Amino acid sequence: MSRIVDEWVSRLKGKLPPIGEMTHWERMAAAMRLERTDFVPVAPELDYWQITYAGYSHQEIYHDVDKTTDACIRTWADLRTDAIWMYVDISHQIENFIPAERRPHHFIHRGEKDYLMFRPLAATLDEAIAMYERRDYEKYLADSRAVTHYTPHMLQLLEFQEKMDRQVPVIIGLATPTNYAETIVEVQNFQKWMVTEPKEKVRRYLDLCLQERLAALEFYREHAVGNGAVFCCLFGGARTWGPRHLEAFADVDRIFGEAAGKIFEHVFWHHCGRNLPGALQMISEIPGVRGVQYDMPYYGQQVTWPEWFEQAAKIFKGRQCAMNAPTTQLACHGSADEVRGMVREFIDATLPHTTACVMPGCEIDSFSPTENVRAMIETARSRRID
Amino acid sequence: MDRAEILGLLADAVEKLDVKGVEPLVDQALAAGLKPSELLTEGLSRGMQRVGQAFNCGDMFMPEVLVACDVYFAGLAKVRPLLAADGDRHVLATMIMGNIYGDVHTVGKQVAMPVFEASGIRVIDLGEDLNDEAFVEGIRAHRPQLVGFGTYMTSTFMHTKETVEAIRKAGLRDGVKIICGGPAVDAEAARRMGADDASDDAWQGVVKMKQLLGLPA
Ligand code: B12
Ligand SMILES: [Zn+2]
Repeated sequence: MSRIVDEWVSRLKGKLPPIGEMTHWERMAAAMRLERTDFVPVAPELDYWQITYAGYSHQEIYHDVDKTTDACIRTWADLRTDAIWMYVDISHQIENFIPAERRPHHFIHRGEKDYLMFRPLAATLDEAIAMYERRDYEKYLADSRAVTHYTPHMLQLLEFQEKMDRQVPVIIGLATPTNYAETIVEVQNFQKWMVTEPKEKVRRYLDLCLQERLAALEFYREHAVGNGAVFCCLFGGARTWGPRHLEAFADVDRIFGEAAGKIFEHVFWHHCGRNLPGALQMISEIPGVRGVQYDMPYYGQQVTWPEWFEQAAKIFKGRQCAMNAPTTQLACHGSADEVRGMVREFIDATLPHTTACVMPGCEIDSFSPTENVRAMIETARSRRID
Repeated sequence: MDRAEILGLLADAVEKLDVKGVEPLVDQALAAGLKPSELLTEGLSRGMQRVGQAFNCGDMFMPEVLVACDVYFAGLAKVRPLLAADGDRHVLATMIMGNIYGDVHTVGKQVAMPVFEASGIRVIDLGEDLNDEAFVEGIRAHRPQLVGFGTYMTSTFMHTKETVEAIRKAGLRDGVKIICGGPAVDAEAARRMGADDASDDAWQGVVKMKQLLGLPA
């Protein structure tokens, strides 16, 4: 039971005007099931942005679960997006690998709207493997932010979801094995090791990452799904790999994705940055993954935005909901008109092939103007799907 | 081995990701009487250019490109001390480069630097997450013609404005051309914030920098 949740529920329940014929939940779920919706759902990933929007600094919410939850609900109540993204930052992901006394060295707070900075945890592949073999992530878990901040925040939002009778879904975020493998040692190091280190050693490391992630899924089964979670975003790594390395090493993500798909009903994959069509193809073939939050075309690909949206939609056809637009860049330094234009292009190019969800490829930057976020929501709502 | 053959092998070492082979090859080239500058421009740098082509047409990907950069730098590290004696003739311009405040993405910078070097732009790396003062100090210390901002996120790209302003306040803006780089940049927005240009591609960045300096492409 949480006071902050109850306050919001009493303020909002039964008092919000309906939008279209479907509830937010129904709209999101139908899109994920590739069924018809009244409007295209819109669910931008508002991580840090919603903190700023709600009037908090990042420092202020860092240790304050109530304020974090308050920011998410307050923003949703104003904007009425079709989902609430729980707040996640990098400390939730890796603080449990680090003994308490060393944590201040690894995480650095800057300006009120700036991202949390962090330093990598291991400098060599051997070190990274040893860290996993020692099971550091279990040793330091108890007082880490996964336990003190992430979990209680998640539980509060799920409580809100349930007390609001599942009008709006909460999106739970968790990272995949390759995301961990890269983050822990710094992405560029891991990428080089895929080329320079013995394949078995890279495999060993990835398998350890996979085991830890699969064990974590058990936690999610009990505490997230057990408390009503249905929508889950998998933050994939391997974003800049080429076909050779995807082929050789990305199976750990496939295994993990499939396992997550068996636990959560609506799983979608977050693949931000420059997307290789082959990587999107690979993700689209993971059983249980119902949506793909994709982003920009890979380096060297000379395609227009509508062409890119269409290319992706064709990859997802019959399997996944396509989630994109506008780019996070445009959301931040474009005009509201440009945002509207790109959202329209995305919807037009996608709907002939599969369902669409307006959801920029990554989190909205804290500096993005509110009118741009409103513009993407309005555009999705401005046109009924026939 | 003749000159052309050695230069070919040096280019191959970069393209074929031969981390261990490059240093002995450089020694061999020097022993054979090749000039440090030609070894760089016609050997290692050729290799780096081929890597760029392969990357842009999808034959090579980021993991390989990163290793190619390491090979290039390993060779360059051996050659660099000898270049001054050789008259630094290959240097078209000097550039300081660093990540703007709040940005720790290093991969893009790691790729961009050897590409610039391979095109005759000497790069001094100031590091990551730099405050505005670090750029001002960098200009004073190295007297570059070019300043590169590594801005890999929208928020840090938006910080271009303050950093340019600090350079202007220090009275150093007129002496340098400023270019932003990273996946989230936009040339128009960069100019509005007081920089001269921006590019999300290192090879295209070289073309733009040469234009800014009035050098032939
Ligand atoms: C790897 C990566 C990381 C790694 C970085 C590891 C490292 N040591 O570099 C880690 C995990 C640490 C990381 C962290 C974060 N990241 Co990050 N990251 C990426 C990712 C997936 C790849 C970047 C990369 O390596 N690209 C390959 C290089 C070669 O490409 P490039 O940087 O564009 O460089 C090329 C050109 O731009 C050019 N270039 C580079 N520098 C320069 C300089 C000049 C002067 C010029 C002319 C050209 C030039 O040359 C290169 C070759 O052409 C990108 C997505 C993407 N694919 O771009 C996101 C991305 C950059 N990250 C992003 C974000 C949001 C974050 C985090 C905030 C995540 C979080 N919530 O914690 C943190 C912030 C950390 C911080 N404070 O800096 C976002 C930024 C979104 C935005 N528009 O603002 C991106 C774009 C992902 C996305 N959403 O699309 N990230
Ligand atoms: Zn992302």
